Amino acid sequence: MEALQTEESMVRFLNEALISCEKCHLCNTVCPVCDPRVTQGPYGINRSIYYGLKWNQFTEKLRDLIYSCTTCGKCEIKCKGVSRALPLVEIIEKARELLLVEKMLGPMPEQTNVLKNMHVRGNPWGNAPHERTDWARGLDIPFATTNHPVDVLYFVGCASSYDPQAQKIAKNLSKLLKQAGVNFGILEKELCSGHEARRMGETGLFQFLSEANLELFEQAGIHHIVTGDPHSFYSFSNEYPFGEKGPKVQHYTQFLNEIIDKGQLKLICDVDKKVTYHDPCYLGRRSEIYDEPRKLIQSIPGVKPVEMKNCKEDSNCCGMGGGRMWMEPPKTLVSSQSIANSRVLQALDTGAEILLTACPFCNITLNDAVKALEKEGDIKVMDITELIAVAL
Amino acid sequence: MSSDLEQLAQDLKNIVGEEYVFTDVFERIAYADTSLPYDVEKTDLPDVVVHPADAQEISKILKYANANNVPITTYGSGTSLIFGTKPKHKGISLSTERLKNFEIREDHQWFECGAGVKAGYAIEALGKLGYFLPIQTQAGSSIGGAVSVNTIGHLTDNAFGRPVNNVLALEVVLPTGEIIQTGSECLRRSAGWDLARIFIGSEGILGIITKVRMVLYPTPQMVDAVGFFKSTEEIGRVIGLMYEKKLPLPMDGEFVGEKACKVGYEAYGLDFPEGALAVTRSMGWTKEEALRNANLLVDLFKSAGAIDAFILEDEAIKKQVWGVRENAMRWGQEKGLKGYLAIEVNPALPLLPDAMNELVHITEGRNDLIGDTEAYVYGHVGSDSLHCLFAFPYDWSTEKMKQVVDEIWNLEKELQTKYRGVGGDWGWLPHRVPFYREKYGEVSYGIIKKMKQLFDPNDILNRGNVEGEV
Repeated sequence: MEALQTEESMVRFLNEALISCEKCHLCNTVCPVCDPRVTQGPYGINRSIYYGLKWNQFTEKLRDLIYSCTTCGKCEIKCKGVSRALPLVEIIEKARELLLVEKMLGPMPEQTNVLKNMHVRGNPWGNAPHERTDWARGLDIPFATTNHPVDVLYFVGCASSYDPQAQKIAKNLSKLLKQAGVNFGILEKELCSGHEARRMGETGLFQFLSEANLELFEQAGIHHIVTGDPHSFYSFSNEYPFGEKGPKVQHYTQFLNEIIDKGQLKLICDVDKKVTYHDPCYLGRRSEIYDEPRKLIQSIPGVKPVEMKNCKEDSNCCGMGGGRMWMEPPKTLVSSQSIANSRVLQALDTGAEILLTACPFCNITLNDAVKALEKEGDIKVMDITELIAVAL
Repeated sequence: MSSDLEQLAQDLKNIVGEEYVFTDVFERIAYADTSLPYDVEKTDLPDVVVHPADAQEISKILKYANANNVPITTYGSGTSLIFGTKPKHKGISLSTERLKNFEIREDHQWFECGAGVKAGYAIEALGKLGYFLPIQTQAGSSIGGAVSVNTIGHLTDNAFGRPVNNVLALEVVLPTGEIIQTGSECLRRSAGWDLARIFIGSEGILGIITKVRMVLYPTPQMVDAVGFFKSTEEIGRVIGLMYEKKLPLPMDGEFVGEKACKVGYEAYGLDFPEGALAVTRSMGWTKEEALRNANLLVDLFKSAGAIDAFILEDEAIKKQVWGVRENAMRWGQEKGLKGYLAIEVNPALPLLPDAMNELVHITEGRNDLIGDTEAYVYGHVGSDSLHCLFAFPYDWSTEKMKQVVDEIWNLEKELQTKYRGVGGDWGWLPHRVPFYREKYGEVSYGIIKKMKQLFDPNDILNRGNVEGEV
């Protein structure tokens, strides 16, 4: 397990990373939270961190700026391409850790309960742990245990376990796995992956949750994890200390392609729809999985995929990553709603009837944006699993 | 915050509204920090940052500032490489970021935009209708800022001209608060007096440009070509031949020196010929014309001894070639050097090869701090603008950093004088005042100071820039 950092090591990392900023502002040109003030984007946030450290200025204004970032990583790609390749997301996360752990300033007030819920109830919403698998009632989905070993663990994630909109992902994915004859199961006592705790700077809680999940995986003899949550997928793939003998981890877009290629899952019904795909930040830019979702969509008979103006590496964020799901930034910063709205408007520009995605956060957020824009009659937000289920 | 500053903030809130006035230290830092390799000091910060919505609000702010002797520093997007946006006398930092109205009038064949519109936005919006923005500065730069500097970024001067050639009309708030309009709605520009020409390129010392009307250009067809040469100096000679042979100049062109190419090739794992490269973007009103123009350059490159030269048809290779140039800001990092400062040198055409050669060897045999830097040469093909990026360690003391910055600026002054250029696409003021005085003399400099005094009797706007305060 990665050692928790000291204040000294965090400050050293931040200083060394930030000192080489060229101040070209190109990061701001792609940032979803930068509009219109230069302070709002990665340039302003990073300058604030740098001088905050230098002048020992730690205030709520600084906290508000640092926590306004969605951690979508678009600025990092820009910086790598045309400037000095600063690790911009890591800088934000480390600054949050510093504020939360050492300065007692983080997280945002609304996020405090979220972290407490993760710790006490194992999910950010504070739902009862025993209700976690309620979505599966009547679906005959086994729990993975040593007495009932499974080939594949379906790690559901908190949103798909509890949120009514996102529960459709869990139900549809389970239906597809069953249809394909996959020997899979879920964990009765699955816990939050801790991904969002880490994004909010609560690295200790992330460690606690990851250790607890590791124990559950070990007890159930898990060798292969498939998840529908790109956030958990990212943490499992990059932040969990699985080691060399750890389980194989896949997002469902990877796994479903494999079983379709093997002929285990057959899609036979025509779905005569024009669709566009929104790359979730933690599946796309952060995990570089761009082709598998598109291949999966193309395997649905009759579907006509079109791309939005910003797609793949250049995709726009839905606005809810990096802990923003549970906070609304101050009035002077960009609202989450406006970020999601602009993404839906891009989807509408394509003329697509269905806006597909592969992340419960994006699904919830983009659905809300469609309603806010009163465009329910023009476009429908669906997870890829939902459309595949129609094609069975 | 002192009661005076509280009053200042409150008075500004009464003009623009509470949510557009910022006194928080982090807001003030963002509007003061510059691309200099050393940090800003607390004394460099403005007292307050204000975001007015339009010319009327700006007018009220300027009248208030005159009445209360509060200096105002204007802020477009902060992408200037010459840090004119850093307040020299605290006061108000006035941002034009909210001036974002944008209208394309195809019936009139012009577009009009607020000063705060970003180049990236304008390029995209115009592009959707088949038009081209004749200002190719970086995506985050503001149109108001570019016009106030009269810059076109990477474009060749004689492809579309400069803003001074393409602006049809301006809305300007004078330092004393009056709002004036220049120009007309007609495409025929004034042959005689046109006050727009005074404000364009004045770098914000005579007024705040709030709205710009510019002529529409249809997007040309473009074809890119590349030439690989043994040395930067050879590219200098080829550029001279390009003019001598009356070839159609590229609308955009770049060259990258030997050392910078090596870093770029290694960074991207490219198997390009060792040496320097020149990449060009030829234009035409048909694809055939653009291709023909590009082929003429390829033929020139080959006849002038290029190791290889070809049209960039393959999108992946094209991206790699331009990527070598775009990698500029990371030069030096391969040697662990994170500090940097770049200069601009604009040689007269016959002196181009010599200037290029001198820049390539600029650090050799020097006993000053420049001798301890790594220098990377790059620049433009067609617009004859050379740059040299000096990279040095970031752990140098602030004092040492300031010393190397002074040495580099002094070198820039010497080279501009020696090679008989002026340049200024990065902005003139304030650090180039010594060069201006030396090149044009005290009478010319005095005229600029008198103009400043005429327009801004209380020295409210961008105070200290004309005096060369850095």
